[in-house]
Amino acid sequence: MTTAVQPAGGGGQLDRPSSSSLADVIDTILDKGLVIDAYVRVSLVGIELLTIDARVVVASVDTYLRFAEAVNRLDIADSDEKQGLPELLDDMNEGGAKSKTKGALEAAGEKLRDAFGGDDEEEEEEKASSSRSRSRRGRG
Amino acid sequence: MADVAEKTETVVYVYGIVPADVEIDSEARGVGDPPAKVTTVRSGDIAALVSEIDPDRPLGTPEDLATHARLLDGAASEVPVLPLRFGAVVSNVDAVSEELLEANREGFLEALQQLEGKAEYIVKGRYVEKAILNEILEENPALAELRESIKGKSEDATRNERIALGEKIGQAIAAKREADSRRMAEALASLDVQLSPRDVTEEQQAVHLACLAETERQDELESVVDELAAEWEGRVEIRLLGPLAAYDFVVTEQAGA
Repeated sequence: MTTAVQPAGGGGQLDRPSSSSLADVIDTILDKGLVIDAYVRVSLVGIELLTIDARVVVASVDTYLRFAEAVNRLDIADSDEKQGLPELLDDMNEGGAKSKTKGALEAAGEKLRDAFGGDDEEEEEEKASSSRSRSRRGRG
Repeated sequence: MADVAEKTETVVYVYGIVPADVEIDSEARGVGDPPAKVTTVRSGDIAALVSEIDPDRPLGTPEDLATHARLLDGAASEVPVLPLRFGAVVSNVDAVSEELLEANREGFLEALQQLEGKAEYIVKGRYVEKAILNEILEENPALAELRESIKGKSEDATRNERIALGEKIGQAIAAKREADSRRMAEALASLDVQLSPRDVTEEQQAVHLACLAETERQDELESVVDELAAEWEGRVEIRLLGPLAAYDFVVTEQAGA
């Protein structure tokens, strides 16, 4: 899904800054360009630091942990976005209550209700069944 | 020679080499504090863009860096420029003209001719974290499983698994970077340009490429990059910098070749 080719609507996505950021500049002028023999030695301030910052990214345990963390965060953000379970549940309840033709949906809804102990207009039956299952579980 | 003494004397900061007929905006100011006027030192057909600086004041503040780049990039959109690496300082204007310009005349002239009408452009792409991680998890069920197995457990207890997961994610990103960089390079190769891949400078970098193109055909370059940017929308954020001085396409030749 993510690699799908989207219609190239032409323009808009490309960022075309009118000037380089400091990071861009550091990437460029500190280790590219002609080198001449500097006849005069002038001390450079902060360059060392900046250069190290801009250096090639070296993978480290910290990097890995950060990636792992990002992946875990992703999970949470994702389910929020995709339509969280509670929402899904509501939709299904509604479908089930409104029309008996949505058999599959209804069944799915019931399954979910079972799993989450949800309540709706079929409260009585629901309660009965969930208490039944509870007691079954209790006894088993 | 031995003029180590005279402390108050200024030295000459050199930005780059340009054709001798270049005119400098009289408002242009250089690196250092206070910033001095930018001028040229000429020698025959070529000239150096320079400004005076105080040798006792360290260089390299963000302003200095920005100034160096801005001057060269500004010039590069109009004339060929050979950019010097940041921090080139020569003792005085005579040394610039004799030891720098005259000593390297041939090489500089030839390089300037090659850059005529051209400038550098940099394509930088950055993965949108969420999108790229989702893509990777979808393509690698094993990673998705690993993530599930870690979920909800304490960080300490799963440290090793987390490191393993992160490492594999990092590898997957690197593989994507390679493929996407190639893709961009191939797209650009359809134009008559020179390419120079750059080092990776960010973990989430997708593309980092320098490209030497005719400034007159900048439109074509933009549309090629834009097309990929559109295709990758939501997945890779792409920036196109330029016209810039040709930092990635000048080579230092030793011994006055």
